[in-house]
Amino acid sequence: MIRKFQQFLVVMFVSFLPTVVCAVDDDLLWSLRTSTRPDPPPFESLKHGQQVRNAVDQFVLNRLEEASLEPAPHAARRTLVRRAYFDLIGLPPSPEQVDAFMEDESPDAWPRLIDSLLESKHYGERWGRHWLDVARYADSGGYETDIYYRNAWRYRDYVIKSFNDDKPYDVFVQEQIAGDELWPDNLDLDPRRVYIIPEKKQRHLEARIATGFYALGPRVHESALDAKRLAYETMTDWVDATASAFMGLTLGCSRCHDHKFDPFTQEDYFALHAIFASAREVELPLWNAMGEADWRQSYPRVLAVEEARKAYRLFEAKTAGQTLSPEQQTRKQELLAAIGQAVLALPEQTGGQATIPYDGLMHIPTASILGREHPALIRTVHLLERGELQKPGKPIQSALPVSLAIATQTPADLADPFTARKRFALWLTKKDHPLTARVMVNRIWHWHFGRGIVETPNDFGNMGQPPSHPELLDWLSTRFVDGGWKIKDLHRLIMNSATYRRSSRFGDERALVKDPDNRLLWRMNRRRLEGEAIWDSVHSAAGTINLAMGGPPVAPPLAGDEIASLREKWHWVVSADPAQHTRRGVYLLVRRNFQFPIFEVFDAPVTAVSCPVRDVTTVATQALWGLNNHSVFRQAMQMAGRIVTEAGDDRTAQIDRAWRIALGRPPTDDEAESSLLLLEDLETETAMPLKNPPETLKSVSPVRAQALTKLCLALFNLSEFAFVD
Amino acid sequence: MHPSSSRRDFLFQGGLGFGTLALGDMLHAEDIDPRSQDPLAARAPHFPATAKNVIFLFMQGGASHLETFDNKPILTKYDGQLLPESLQDFDLAQINTADAKVMASQFPFDKYGDSGVEISRLFPHLSQHADKLAIIRSMHHELFIHGSAMIMMHSGTSLLGHPSVGAWVVYGLGCESDNLPAYIAMTDGIFRNGASMYSSGFLPAVYQGVDMRAEGVPIQNLQRQSDITAGEQRLLLDQINAWNREHRQTRPGDSRLAARIANYELAFRMQTAAPELIDLSGETEATRKLYGIDDEPSARFGKMCLMSRRMVERGVRYVQLICGGWDAHGDCKGNHQSQAAKIDQPIAGLIADLEQRGMLNDTLLVWVGEFGRTPIRQGTNGRDHHPYGFSAWLAGGGVAGGKTIGATDDFGFNAVEDKVHVNDLHATMLGLMGLDHEQLTYHFEGRDRRLTDVGGENNLAQRLLQA
Repeated sequence: MIRKFQQFLVVMFVSFLPTVVCAVDDDLLWSLRTSTRPDPPPFESLKHGQQVRNAVDQFVLNRLEEASLEPAPHAARRTLVRRAYFDLIGLPPSPEQVDAFMEDESPDAWPRLIDSLLESKHYGERWGRHWLDVARYADSGGYETDIYYRNAWRYRDYVIKSFNDDKPYDVFVQEQIAGDELWPDNLDLDPRRVYIIPEKKQRHLEARIATGFYALGPRVHESALDAKRLAYETMTDWVDATASAFMGLTLGCSRCHDHKFDPFTQEDYFALHAIFASAREVELPLWNAMGEADWRQSYPRVLAVEEARKAYRLFEAKTAGQTLSPEQQTRKQELLAAIGQAVLALPEQTGGQATIPYDGLMHIPTASILGREHPALIRTVHLLERGELQKPGKPIQSALPVSLAIATQTPADLADPFTARKRFALWLTKKDHPLTARVMVNRIWHWHFGRGIVETPNDFGNMGQPPSHPELLDWLSTRFVDGGWKIKDLHRLIMNSATYRRSSRFGDERALVKDPDNRLLWRMNRRRLEGEAIWDSVHSAAGTINLAMGGPPVAPPLAGDEIASLREKWHWVVSADPAQHTRRGVYLLVRRNFQFPIFEVFDAPVTAVSCPVRDVTTVATQALWGLNNHSVFRQAMQMAGRIVTEAGDDRTAQIDRAWRIALGRPPTDDEAESSLLLLEDLETETAMPLKNPPETLKSVSPVRAQALTKLCLALFNLSEFAFVD
Repeated sequence: MHPSSSRRDFLFQGGLGFGTLALGDMLHAEDIDPRSQDPLAARAPHFPATAKNVIFLFMQGGASHLETFDNKPILTKYDGQLLPESLQDFDLAQINTADAKVMASQFPFDKYGDSGVEISRLFPHLSQHADKLAIIRSMHHELFIHGSAMIMMHSGTSLLGHPSVGAWVVYGLGCESDNLPAYIAMTDGIFRNGASMYSSGFLPAVYQGVDMRAEGVPIQNLQRQSDITAGEQRLLLDQINAWNREHRQTRPGDSRLAARIANYELAFRMQTAAPELIDLSGETEATRKLYGIDDEPSARFGKMCLMSRRMVERGVRYVQLICGGWDAHGDCKGNHQSQAAKIDQPIAGLIADLEQRGMLNDTLLVWVGEFGRTPIRQGTNGRDHHPYGFSAWLAGGGVAGGKTIGATDDFGFNAVEDKVHVNDLHATMLGLMGLDHEQLTYHFEGRDRRLTDVGGENNLAQRLLQA
């Protein structure tokens, strides 16, 4: 009934647009109304008008003054530089980078710092990781067997590149939802170009890889045993992830009944299922005909491996239960060596000038993406009573949610299955779409301040929180769209405001009582670093961080107590090259069933569904990690070695250097003195020398080396190390 | 102060599933009353409870109801024949219901105790406690593969990302231990579904179970690096705390910073408390014997059962013990014989030990797998996964034993009488803990979530309490 009425409205608005829209608008959820750009409160009317750096401040100060709250003063420059580095690139500034900013007295030092950080390739790693939370990114399927996703990382690298390229957000959305339909060029690569992929095709390739968003959700291994249910669960994942990530709506409830609080019906929900019913996951080969020819040419080498293994198995069967004679022992070793030699004879790259590495042992490089389901195999989507598969109701066609179609003055119908996703993506990125820009602008705000203007970034419905600064959100959103959906512009705008630059240490009693959660932003929020940023910081301080970008996920070695809960050892195949073990956190293997221990301890997102806001817990396992973890201790030794290299054997210089490296500031006099006392206390005659000190520590006495290491370990455990003011 | 309902603020305090009594010493007046903010502070239940703690005994892989607690003599009569046609169109994991043959129960059943409840001869020790068991013979759900079914049994839904029962219980009742986690999971092999078996899902991460190992280092990172002595660690910790206190003093209105300092002390205490917990050297010979610790194959699970008693004694709220290996696709008889031998004496010993220490009344034991097994044969002598009807039992925590609830049909195929869905079992467990499963909610993604989702109507709690 409701739906009929809404469809009626859709038809009506074409002819009676103004009346109907107004009629609907009165009850419409705030987030479904098109934003209009409000004027910022004039700064002449503001008591603190002289503080205004840009319009952001006008909106924020206006609310503060209405509430009679005093804004915090500007943070110290030393605080700001650390804040900016962690915020934009997720890495601590080196002592030299801090000094350079401290010494830069020009008035545009701050905006230039922001610009240079936005140009850093590490920006995409930091902000791409934020998006990966939203995209429920993982390299495996979860559930019982946690099946491995060999090429999910291509989506991860796509996200990082998109942020670094400052890709307009509307394009970013379009690519992920319908890259295959919107950039449909034939990707068969021209063999005459040998191994080089022309730029236009690169563009289309990139858009296709973007749809990997859909290929990396949770998946049950035994799906063949319960195919209908699992297909349904996959579709549910796709629709829920789409709604959460791009629309800021939680539609999950509508699977079982009409949404109780938001204007979405069960029929709307299954109409979204229908949009995706014509898609299926496909493997896209990522190389050209020449590469494939190379692969075929070399294939007999794979056969050689197979035959060498068979030969060994035959020997094994023949000698089962026997004690091997010396000759047989020799034979066994020969057979094993033959396997090894055959494996080593496998080519690792295609030929030619621009070589492409094979995936694994000669596996063709591919990406898992969305493609078209064969028309004969497209399932009819039914409305399911209470969401139960056993209770199918009437068939449902692809369509936009009716209330949103009305709000955006778009016909809801998307009947043609092969353009449904494309039209859905284009509709979502219409300039006047009420949700898309608001949702993303709010996410950006959340990632800068630790809390969104809407505190529930994935729920812009009635059950979410209303915006704390609705006009500011609308002003930013409309400006974002009009400026070409550029995320880096948004960073500049936000970070150049006075609001962003306020001190977090301000403790105005009145404000603490009146607005303890700092909803009105009278000060900056102090941020606890995420697991990845803590990992990156420890390795940066130690000087061991490997800043290489991209590629397959890395698995650093784990201690015995860390792997104890691993289902099988193959789930964590340690990367052989030690240089890989100190890569940035964003490149480490993300298993749904086994989180990298330090990330788990520091609140890594649960990858089952889109994660809009990471938890920030304070638990004892974090302290245990900092005090006792094997890799933390190794990095403390490395940091001690770095300090010896950079500051020599003078204790005062060492202490100064250690604090600057770890915290971006020199120690206070008291801290320097207590550090010295600590070193003296540790440098006892009976102190054990370190068991495996790095080369860099060998130029000082073993007693000094162990004491300095322990001082570095203490610094890793400081609140100041894990928090950003 | 801070009556905030925001998820983040809620998380600022607390330990790794620890009550934070000691936090009080660390806090200064400006930093709020710790108990009002501590998400793990012990809390009153919704109504008076009979059970304070839970020991959840999970038979991973799916123990057969037909070989354990659900006697179906008709299977012997129909052995080797097709199922009745009415049962032939149910989907199963690996066998076709329409052409598979019925298989007789592999073990005889006897009546035990004053109540005369029927239990198979697989459990000679456990059956001595028959009058303490309330056996449910009508468990059911519709998921017939391990992955989804285990998620269902642990979190009440078939999808990843939902909190496990233990997380809900600790969320509802908090913790009574000062230096141990509120929720501990332990397995004799692997967690077949990984961390989702003890996950906090969308609840705050403080409610996550801690996987503790029965041997070696019980908790990750619990052991000092060998390059640091105990004295040096204390020295470092004092200096870290001193610097962190200074840091906190110049940063008003941020309770996380105080919680962090408290947690360093908690971590230090846990380094002693957790190894002490798994150290069984102080237990008497008689106790070891009771749990079958010095015999194979009961040694491993026996230790786990004894440790679970020690956990409950020390205020751990929810203990989950996992016994793997019940997935008897082939040789159901041999499999169940050796599986039962691993757990029979340990679980019987646990019941006896809890009783003699006066702890059984406060401690609820629940025994269940993710599903039962088919009445029909797989291969020559195995049974496939079967979720449509299977068994569980509860004991202790005020449960009046010596009774059976519900029934499957003659073939043990479908639960037909007094059906108990997983959501009902969970509602029952919460009910015995004094928690109303409809009131224990957490707002996530647009609605107030429950462990029991939209189910749980058949809450057995009241009935189980009645003799």
